[in-house]
Amino acid sequence: MRPPSQKRLQAAKALNQLVLRFYQECLEARAKGKPVGWMPPMNGAIEIFYAMDLQPVFPENWSPLCAAFGYAPQNFRIAEALGYSRDLCGYLRNIIGYVHGLMKEGGTPLALPEPDLLLSFGGGCVPAMKIFHILEDRFPEARIFSADLPQVAAEQVQDHHVRYAVSEMYRLIDFLTKTTGKKLDYDRLKEVVGLSNQASILWEEIMAYRRYIPSPFSAAEIGIMFVMVTRQGTREAVDFLTQVRDEVAARAENKIGVIEEEQVRLFWDNIPPWYNLGLLKSFEKMNGVVVAETYSSAWSIRLEGDDPIEALARKSLLSYSLVSCVSIKKRKEMVLKACRDYVIDGVVFHRNKSCAPITLGQMDIKRALEEELGIPSVIIDGDHMDERNFSLAQFQTRTEAFMEMLKHKKGLW
Amino acid sequence: MTESIQAFMEWIEGYPEKHRALSLQTPLVGYFCTYTPVELIHASGFIPVRILGESGPIQKAYTLAPSFICPYMRRALEKALEGRYDYLSGMVQGYTCDVACGLTNIWEENIRLGFYHTLPLPYNRNPEARAFFRSIFSELIQKLEAHGGRFSLEALSQSLKIYERVRGLLADLYERRYQGRLMLSAKDLFSIVLAGFVAPPETYLQLLEALVKEVQGQEVIKAARGFPILISGSLLDDPKTLEALEDLGMDVVADDLCTGLRSFYPPAGEGPGEKNDPLDRLTDRYLHRFPCPARQRARDRFPLLMDLVRHSGAGGVIFLLQKFCTPHLADYPILSEAFNKEGLPHILLEIEDSGLTEAQRTRLEAFLEIHGRG
Repeated sequence: MRPPSQKRLQAAKALNQLVLRFYQECLEARAKGKPVGWMPPMNGAIEIFYAMDLQPVFPENWSPLCAAFGYAPQNFRIAEALGYSRDLCGYLRNIIGYVHGLMKEGGTPLALPEPDLLLSFGGGCVPAMKIFHILEDRFPEARIFSADLPQVAAEQVQDHHVRYAVSEMYRLIDFLTKTTGKKLDYDRLKEVVGLSNQASILWEEIMAYRRYIPSPFSAAEIGIMFVMVTRQGTREAVDFLTQVRDEVAARAENKIGVIEEEQVRLFWDNIPPWYNLGLLKSFEKMNGVVVAETYSSAWSIRLEGDDPIEALARKSLLSYSLVSCVSIKKRKEMVLKACRDYVIDGVVFHRNKSCAPITLGQMDIKRALEEELGIPSVIIDGDHMDERNFSLAQFQTRTEAFMEMLKHKKGLW
Repeated sequence: MTESIQAFMEWIEGYPEKHRALSLQTPLVGYFCTYTPVELIHASGFIPVRILGESGPIQKAYTLAPSFICPYMRRALEKALEGRYDYLSGMVQGYTCDVACGLTNIWEENIRLGFYHTLPLPYNRNPEARAFFRSIFSELIQKLEAHGGRFSLEALSQSLKIYERVRGLLADLYERRYQGRLMLSAKDLFSIVLAGFVAPPETYLQLLEALVKEVQGQEVIKAARGFPILISGSLLDDPKTLEALEDLGMDVVADDLCTGLRSFYPPAGEGPGEKNDPLDRLTDRYLHRFPCPARQRARDRFPLLMDLVRHSGAGGVIFLLQKFCTPHLADYPILSEAFNKEGLPHILLEIEDSGLTEAQRTRLEAFLEIHGRG
């Protein structure tokens, strides 16, 4: 008898509520006079913000929502009319278009509050830094913290990199104390970092269940990553992930898969196309499931040790490099390991015009997959934000041929 | 004069053979970006040489890098895959743009050299950033020593002296150009700067000193040669582009190019560091050098560009970018608006291959027609 299937997780509904609540909370914070700080994701500032009772806002995370709500094309038009080239990252064009257009006009069901603080980053990718340079001009009243973080390969992190990242954390805390009048309670920070660590452990547990055959959920549920981006360090994130973990565990144990007959297991590399996450599910009609992706292990970084500041510094140093071209070697190692652990049959490389840092190195990983594991892969040209750089016909032709080839290889065709 | 310039041209046109011959005696280390501390490489007993992309078709590189990164990086990869740089002992790269970082790592996966090293450069200028700078310098020195280099502070002082002298002479040439006292074409001056990336600094210094001597003997004010312009942009490794601009009726009076002013200005470090501590002087220079958009905000770059405009008498600006260059493209709208407020005409050109396309020539002619013939 075939195992039962159930496409979506029940937790997906809870996630929708959580997303709405977060953005409502951001607007309320502004209304109540709670300081609002805009920052890039994947660095330890989020935990410090929650520990100091400040409101973090992530313009980068706002972009997938704009893509989902259909705001992105309008945002792009405005940014491009201002002179921002179509060759620039879609996250950059989207947020710049938004802050100069819809944000001023208002009237959208969800919106971003104006920033009191801008954590303008060096470190991370260049577009992420440039977004904040441009935002500084749009919000001249905001207080600016010019943050720095060494761009170093994960496998090459040494004490002096950590020391510098730690000194930047302390400088940030000083800045926040001076500008907001709020003090950091060290015990509260420990608690927040503890919660953040729990979220990372839960994330890894949840991902590990995808090793089951059939996989209990697919990449179409990538939205759960929202809590890792915006809620790390909160009880809400831990509660939500616990709920997801329990649901996923039950599905795995009861052999409930995403589709009735899971024949082909796929890995997706690079940021998904936020304007059409349905593409990740399009493999299902050909009995394929995307069971792992680049981000599967990127959020599992532990926050351990006695010193929460150092733990945050270490996490910040690893986050960007592990998913980008800063650590091609480490990334290759991670993708190959994931392909073994998740019993992957084939890999889909999204050659993403909006993200050179993740796209660079894909061809080396592709070759290593073929040579070391005999795993075939396919390249899809696209863009994680800008649908104009994506061709559905090319996607369908390539993925259908790829699936046929994989099935043939497994003797299923 | 023609003879002196010929010596620089020989380096640009014949550097691969010269490098191959040099590498038999002294190891060579390649780099892409001018934020790479070449002084440390030199002081450790290596000859630092910049990787140029040049022109030519891209075939092999397509299998390793996407088409939406700058043509310079793709062509450099193509040359490397053809075996052009097999004489290098290693590659050192300062993290500035994402693509240079990624390509260094792709080279490492595909081009077998003795070693690769990327420096995570700080963006800030506070005491902690200075301390971090010294740590990453030590890390690089250790790497160079592990691959046959020998470093000493005395050697670094000596290297700084050479590079500061080279940069000082280039700054003098530029100053003469600002004052209209330089009889060199933009193409020739650019070629002189470009040769400095591929010739050993001692050799280059000699060539430069000989040239400056000649220039000093020509105290004439040159006649206006066209519409005076500032070129602001990314890496340019083809002197012909500047020749084409001059042929159209432009007089390049100043530049803010990665292969121009930004590579040598200011000649020495100015900052709080101890002047007799070579590592402090080095740190000062990299923290306070003429900034690349990959390191600084558009609004901080704009006053520096306006200084160049005023000092050189430029009547317009050409943004000349490698296609897909994120740092420059991201600064462009803010700079463009700021120049508009100053009433300074400007035009954006993106380089896809070497030289200018016919469409770009037509746009430049129209630009001149509107702004340059007054």
